[in-house]
Amino acid sequence: MPHPDRLAAILAGERTALARAISMLENDARGAAALRAALRGRCGRAHVLGITGAPGAGKSTLIGALLGAFLGRGLKVAVAAVDPSSPVSGGALLGDRIRMGSHAGHENCFIRSLSARGQLGGLSASTGAVVDLLDAAGFDTVIVETVGAGQSEVDLARLADTRVVLCPPGLGDEVQALKAGILELADLLVVSKADHPLAGRTAAELRDMLALRRHGGAHPGAGTWQPRVLEVDAAAGTGLEALLEAIEEHRRAIGCGRRLQAREAEADTADTAALCARLAARDPFVTSLGGEFAGARPGAAEVALAIRAQHLNFNGTCHGGVIFALADTAFGLASNSRGRLAAGIDAHVTYHSAVHEGERLLARAREISRSRKLAVYRVDVERADGTLVAAFTGTVFITGAHPAGEGTSSRSAGGA
Amino acid sequence: MELRPRVLVTKIGLDGHDRGARVVAACLRDAGMEVVYTPPWQDIPAVVKLAIEEDIDVIGISSLATDHLIVPALIEALRAAGAGDVAVIVGGIVPDEEVPALIEAGVAQVFHPGAPLARIADFVRSAAARVRATRFPDAR
Ligand SMILES: Nc1nc2c(ncn2[C@@H]2O[C@H](COP(=O)(O)OP(=O)(O)O)[C@@H](O)[C@H]2O)c(=O)[nH]1
Ligand SMILES: [Mg+2]
Repeated sequence: MPHPDRLAAILAGERTALARAISMLENDARGAAALRAALRGRCGRAHVLGITGAPGAGKSTLIGALLGAFLGRGLKVAVAAVDPSSPVSGGALLGDRIRMGSHAGHENCFIRSLSARGQLGGLSASTGAVVDLLDAAGFDTVIVETVGAGQSEVDLARLADTRVVLCPPGLGDEVQALKAGILELADLLVVSKADHPLAGRTAAELRDMLALRRHGGAHPGAGTWQPRVLEVDAAAGTGLEALLEAIEEHRRAIGCGRRLQAREAEADTADTAALCARLAARDPFVTSLGGEFAGARPGAAEVALAIRAQHLNFNGTCHGGVIFALADTAFGLASNSRGRLAAGIDAHVTYHSAVHEGERLLARAREISRSRKLAVYRVDVERADGTLVAAFTGTVFITGAHPAGEGTSSRSAGGA
Repeated sequence: MELRPRVLVTKIGLDGHDRGARVVAACLRDAGMEVVYTPPWQDIPAVVKLAIEEDIDVIGISSLATDHLIVPALIEALRAAGAGDVAVIVGGIVPDEEVPALIEAGVAQVFHPGAPLARIADFVRSAAARVRATRFPDAR
């Protein structure tokens, strides 16, 4: 735990305490891990607004205009501006805040310039922790400015609740190139410098592209939200009101704390995979069959099997019992993956095609339904090319115990 | 792990010539420091707030005319805000007879035109390290 006084000062939003804590997190100095842990569970209230786009797109200027509007509504606003660092010396010239205008002096505003520290053009490794800190300190809105290159767009997609991608006018062919990465994460696409003669055309091109993509597939991780295109001249304030409304609408639709859910899901998945790997390794039947644990997340598991001579029947094809056993193994792991002992009470399989020696099968189990006592799983057994070999459904009875060897109250042997 | 120095290069007062400030800022960056820079004409409350939020160790004030005369007021304001440990240096055209008053007011060093950039960088680095060491006594 950080010193209680220091933590109290941070939670009270005391400026010096916040600034020191950010340096500590950025440098991963002694105490940083304890601070991260102390912040966990104290955040999730702030709306995190990510602003990304190429250098010179107008991000800092737009943030300046947004600051004016948010502060004018009485909100407390923090900005973390990540600047690309000089890759040679490790030094950085941090000039974002000067573009954010006079609002930097407002008492409800806190601006911090961060160096990307070798994460080329992207988020620094500690940006997530800095956002947690500002959130816990009581800021209503936390704005993150990033250049958005390479891997960072994916990071920003997980970090921010509302993701604004800024495109300067006149991108032309580059709009096509944008589509591949950065466009995928945008909740709001803003054409900056709307006073520019090419702004209207750029906006039209972006709208066309969104329409194309709408037919192509869903917007990842955005639920029912449809991304939209706006034009803003941050210098004059034109279009700003519409952008503010769209941001507010998105916040109401999606809520706050996306990064916390993503992190929780990741931690769950890592824990689950570790649990299922232990269970599979302790299972003598899976071992003698030759089954290989291939991954798990809560309610789902995958097991692979290479078909060898000992798996064949008198016809020279893979024995149905082997395929059943493979599916049943994935079923057993998926149903026990949540850490409660589940015992199989019914299972059914249909075989769709014959399997030969040398083929590699993958059984993929997923949860169809789960109540307090009963859960139903579907398992697809597939070849490497994805063709279906067998479809399996199974039902488990969920006991109050843990799987054998896990936790304290384990009594009976697990498995479905 | 070393805490990287954080430096502010700025100009207060009326003079708008910031070429020298830019050159020094770029030099400090190339020396591995994290440098926040601002346009000229900053007022004292803005500089103090910035220095606190950005966890600045060293403030470099560029003065080509009379801006250095405001530096004692800046140091006073930093102290009043609890940031009196920030090292303040002045670079530019400062008449020799005015240097003692600046040092008396708490300025850590005055660099005159022609001072080698490497010497400025060395001074800033060690001044920053001293501030870091008191702010983060058990960081290593
Ligand atoms: N005409 C016009 N210029 C703008 C606008 N927004 C930004 N700029 C200019 O574009 C340049 C880069 O802006 P900046 O906000 O620093 O971009 P960033 O690198 O994306 O943060 C600056 O010269 C700004 O004055 C705008 O809405 N209209
Ligand atoms: Mg910027």
